[in-house]
Amino acid sequence: MTYIGAEVIISPLGRTTAENWAAVSANQSGISLVKHAGFDNSDLYLSKILDLVDDYKFEKLISDALTAVSAQIDPGILISQRTVVIISSTKGELDKDINDPFGKSIAALVSKFSLVNQPIVLSNACISGVLAINAASNFIQAKIYDHAIVIGCDLISDFVVYGFQSLFAISDKPCAPFDASRNGITMGEGCGAVVVSGTKEIFLNGSFQLLSGTSANDANHIPGPSRTGEGLFRSVKRTLEINDVAPDEIDFICAHGTATVFNDEMESIAFDRSGLTNVPLSSLKGYFGHTLGAAGVIETAASMQMMRHGTLLKSLGYQESGTSKELNVLSENVAAQPKTILKTASGFGGGNASLIIRSL
Amino acid sequence: MSFITTYCHISADQCSVNGKAVSARDRAASESWFKQIYKEQELVYPKFYKMDSLSQAGFLASELIKRENKGLTGRYKDDEIAMLFANQSSSADTDLRFINSYEHNGAPSPSLFVYTLPNIVLGEIAIVNKWYGENMFAVLPKFAPGFFADYGQILLSTGAKAVLCGWLGVLGDNIEVFVWLVESETNGSLNFNQENVLKLSGFNPA
Repeated sequence: MTYIGAEVIISPLGRTTAENWAAVSANQSGISLVKHAGFDNSDLYLSKILDLVDDYKFEKLISDALTAVSAQIDPGILISQRTVVIISSTKGELDKDINDPFGKSIAALVSKFSLVNQPIVLSNACISGVLAINAASNFIQAKIYDHAIVIGCDLISDFVVYGFQSLFAISDKPCAPFDASRNGITMGEGCGAVVVSGTKEIFLNGSFQLLSGTSANDANHIPGPSRTGEGLFRSVKRTLEINDVAPDEIDFICAHGTATVFNDEMESIAFDRSGLTNVPLSSLKGYFGHTLGAAGVIETAASMQMMRHGTLLKSLGYQESGTSKELNVLSENVAAQPKTILKTASGFGGGNASLIIRSL
Repeated sequence: MSFITTYCHISADQCSVNGKAVSARDRAASESWFKQIYKEQELVYPKFYKMDSLSQAGFLASELIKRENKGLTGRYKDDEIAMLFANQSSSADTDLRFINSYEHNGAPSPSLFVYTLPNIVLGEIAIVNKWYGENMFAVLPKFAPGFFADYGQILLSTGAKAVLCGWLGVLGDNIEVFVWLVESETNGSLNFNQENVLKLSGFNPA
């Protein structure tokens, strides 16, 4: 069995997991109107860590996340030769070295924490985080490593903001995933971390079962989601099948839900094809914004917090169904003890990924 | 058992398949080196001209591997060929061009922005071939045969029957491309392991 625990969230809502849970469980959002953030100096809604002023922000966040992780696991794990660190990120410290956006930060992490193995950076657009957690599980099941620490991190930079603006993909209000009036994403920045291990005893605060998931390409279009949800459908189907989990065993879906018209529509079709339209579902982008390579890790960490606290978070920003296949999107927090949560992600390049977390 | 059945190299001056040169760069030509290969090999996929250099490199290598490995696509179901790619500088080549678009050319270019992610090349190859399998792109400080051997085997043990692996070093005129196909349901002479990947790569062990 593979276990997952020691989750960490750093976001505009707080520098600790506890601060983040206190905020999201009160349905507070990290999104604010940031002056002159856009191309041509336009004001934009962003989920930006406004007091993050370090010179090397990416390095600061992944280092803080690893420090927070290490307080929640057996202290020998971090420096074990059986441990690997996997970083999921799209752009790393792009503003500092465009030709090598990860090299310096990773080297600093290795040195500061005396890591034995060279960390692996996975950069697969918006599915990076879910893919990285699945890779961690695969490495452990193959006995290549015994423990993996997955850290997802991305920053808001002019580069990504201008890019999404050029695609007309940024919402003019805080994003509203799955809502009828949604009109684009809200960019976010932050860092999430989880520990994946074959040994339950390393977790000081308890853990969950990780049912390793799968990824599938849409083979359809580079920036646009598939109209049939083919890749997401295939990924969810295989993840359920290989773990012998029936659709009606899923208690909650932590969806990707970027709040673009086409993405959320695609997800609704894929979930409908998967027989999952009645399952309570939320997107957490209304709290954290779209944190790109970090999203899968932050949102998996938040799902684990939901299981620990017995609360399903509402899909912030959602009021009225706006997809052709109606989903059971939560418009209020729900007190519940979910046993099994499905986490999905979809992204540029046609990638789709999914995983399942189950209470022990 | 799994075997390396076909492979392709593209350096700054030469393109070869299974070690045999198929194209040599004409430095006097006005066209880019990747376009020279595309034309000389008589490939027909007009979208090639819209791709960035990273995607062009992956496209060329995968097409030449398919041509050499007859019947490849028919042997597998549409989700049985996984892709496992990596490089050292992510999508830096296109990132620089995108920055140039908004710093010097008036406005951020959406057609460049969509290529500012290293995994886009995997999407392009998936689209050409209608491959729905597992994809992964890693950014590593140097060519790491052990990573490919380890994760390639993981992909083969979790549902894939073939893995298209690739190191796509493409940064300006610094071109170090090595793409190879691993198949599990076949016979071959080159076992898929770290030593053979390193040997075939032609890259110096660090």
